[in-house]
Amino acid sequence: MAFLISFDIDGTLEFGDPPGGITVEMVRRAQDLGFLIGSCSDRFPSAQKALWEARDIKVDFVAAKHMLPDIRARFVALKYLHIGDRDLDQQLAEKAGFEFLWDHEGVAEPWLAWLDAHAAE
Amino acid sequence: MRKQSPVPTEFDQPFYDACNEERLVIQHCPACNRFQFPPRTMCPRCGASNLTWQQVSGRGRIQSRVVVYDSPVSALIPDQPFNVATIALEEEPDVIMLSHLPGVPVDAVPIGATVEVIFETTPATGQKVPEWRVVG
Amino acid sequence: MPIPIAPHSWHRNREGLGIWEGRGKVVATGVGTSPTARRWDEKPETSLGALTILAIRRAIEDAGISPDEIDGIVLTPESTTGVSNDPNSPAPEGWSDVFKMVDYPQAGITRGDIDWLLLNMPELKNVQFKMNGPVCMSVAFTTAAEAVSRGLTGTCLVVRGWHNLAGRYYVGQGAAARDTASGPGKYGGIWGMPACATTAMIFEEYCNKYGKNHDMMAPFVVEERRNGLMNPDGFFTQHRPEMITVDDYLSGRWIAKPANIYDNDLPIQAALAVIFTTPELAKHHKQKPVYILNHAQTRPELQGAIPTLAEWERSSDKMGRMLYEGAGIGPEDLSFENMYDGFTLFHQFHVEGLRFASRGEKRGYALDLYQTDISIEGPNPVSPSGGNNGNGRTRWWHHRDSILQIQGRSPSQITRPAEYGVSGAHMPNFCDALIWGASVE
Repeated sequence: MAFLISFDIDGTLEFGDPPGGITVEMVRRAQDLGFLIGSCSDRFPSAQKALWEARDIKVDFVAAKHMLPDIRARFVALKYLHIGDRDLDQQLAEKAGFEFLWDHEGVAEPWLAWLDAHAAE
Repeated sequence: MRKQSPVPTEFDQPFYDACNEERLVIQHCPACNRFQFPPRTMCPRCGASNLTWQQVSGRGRIQSRVVVYDSPVSALIPDQPFNVATIALEEEPDVIMLSHLPGVPVDAVPIGATVEVIFETTPATGQKVPEWRVVG
Repeated sequence: MPIPIAPHSWHRNREGLGIWEGRGKVVATGVGTSPTARRWDEKPETSLGALTILAIRRAIEDAGISPDEIDGIVLTPESTTGVSNDPNSPAPEGWSDVFKMVDYPQAGITRGDIDWLLLNMPELKNVQFKMNGPVCMSVAFTTAAEAVSRGLTGTCLVVRGWHNLAGRYYVGQGAAARDTASGPGKYGGIWGMPACATTAMIFEEYCNKYGKNHDMMAPFVVEERRNGLMNPDGFFTQHRPEMITVDDYLSGRWIAKPANIYDNDLPIQAALAVIFTTPELAKHHKQKPVYILNHAQTRPELQGAIPTLAEWERSSDKMGRMLYEGAGIGPEDLSFENMYDGFTLFHQFHVEGLRFASRGEKRGYALDLYQTDISIEGPNPVSPSGGNNGNGRTRWWHHRDSILQIQGRSPSQITRPAEYGVSGAHMPNFCDALIWGASVE
């Protein structure tokens, strides 16, 4: 069973406006390690899809950020994480049963340690 | 809900003092025979500055509503989403006040319902402010 | 010396004034638009002031005239509806190496200023007439129209720049972050309504009264984005060339239901300059002159904490009647309407006040109109500019496009002949608007 990470875009990802600290490489690394990844942002879903495609990343989901509960319902995962840069991101994430990390906390890629922890269980 | 505490000035002290006494007092222009809220230094219609403070019934009607999901006010963010309704005063329906309609479930505001004023204590200073409850 | 604003008597704010005395005496010719940005990166060359200088130079070039011919400027000094700096906040490092400074450091950064422009644009050496058009560029346009028609300036720049500083626009900043509230905001602000909520409240009242709903806004929002994406100067064309779909719109996150995030325009940095002159002087300008046939103003009645549907309908009805009376035309003469749209949910109040594309209806018809062909190719082009929702918040794209439409060179040119148009901003009860025409006939 996988872990799921949802990224906000503006203020969180390096290609957001304003740019955030989470790089495409970090996203790619998580995906390569088997994480389910996607974005929940205020950008139109169709625009989110285009932004990922432009970076040659095939995401598992895109959605408006208030649709986090739907993402949780669609995917079975061991852990659900949303990374964002606003109080509202935190509020929506926690209401939807996601763990939440601020964008600057995500830069350290703490999710990589989950794999080791899970392997040890 | 944790509203910000309004800080009265010399000018609007009568309104806020009355709130602390649980009375709803608003301005009235004798020349136009018209109520107004919020308080202003003059009547915007005729320019008169001899406005009086008058107690009103504290009854009104719910005119419209929104549900706030993304408030700019930090103190209210934990309570999102929440109702905000416009209340048209019984004495003069063009005079509009706002309400969180305490006790009314989100997105279930009864448009047109009769309401009466209550007073809510704001936490920072204890200043009371008008709120409204549905009575029918 | 402080720069004056127009005398109250210049504003046409009541009915019964007859045909505007300035009708046929004022035209618009050159238009200059700066590049756009989402936020300021704190470099002098991308500042509000730099963008404004660029827009002015482009307008002069567009008109094909010499800077020597400019003898007047009307400018809107306010350059945001959001977060700003204290006028005396220091300028960033390096600023004074690039720009000469007036007596407060935020000129050209978070405030437009005519004297700052003149100091930094030595080519504008014949400016005698200086006036501010406060709050909204619509006021600058109506002020300049009066000034030219009264012979106070012959060739006048009308200017507005916008800044947008880093950070979120309002949320959790300044007064909103405190546990007490002062100033006028305390009477309504403590209920925590975001900026769009007043409009949403009245839109909700409208829907209840006329049996409409928020979903009916989708064709308008989609059409605006389509029109905006035709504009090479617009923010979305330049930075986010993404088309919105009906599904995108309908799935938008609520800000203050029934207003969702896509009902809010996006704050940006940009500047616009337009040349106003007389028909006589315009004869040697490169661009076709567009006549200002009338202008009018409404202001709020201020009886409650927020306006009501009744007030918005009264006020926008009055605007329609005043505009047509002074211009000598009627709603059936309009080729398009370009009224303000940021927030999208109040655009229909302007449309209905003007009786645009009405088939005899007075109120409650605009959302039905949105379900018909409102495209630039159709019979009733609604917001052909794409407005602020389709281009970013400036409160001037719609004015700019009205001029370009009638000149026949809009990037989203309507198919039917563009003979008369209307544009104005901002709220339905707080509006300054103009009727533009290809001729005075």
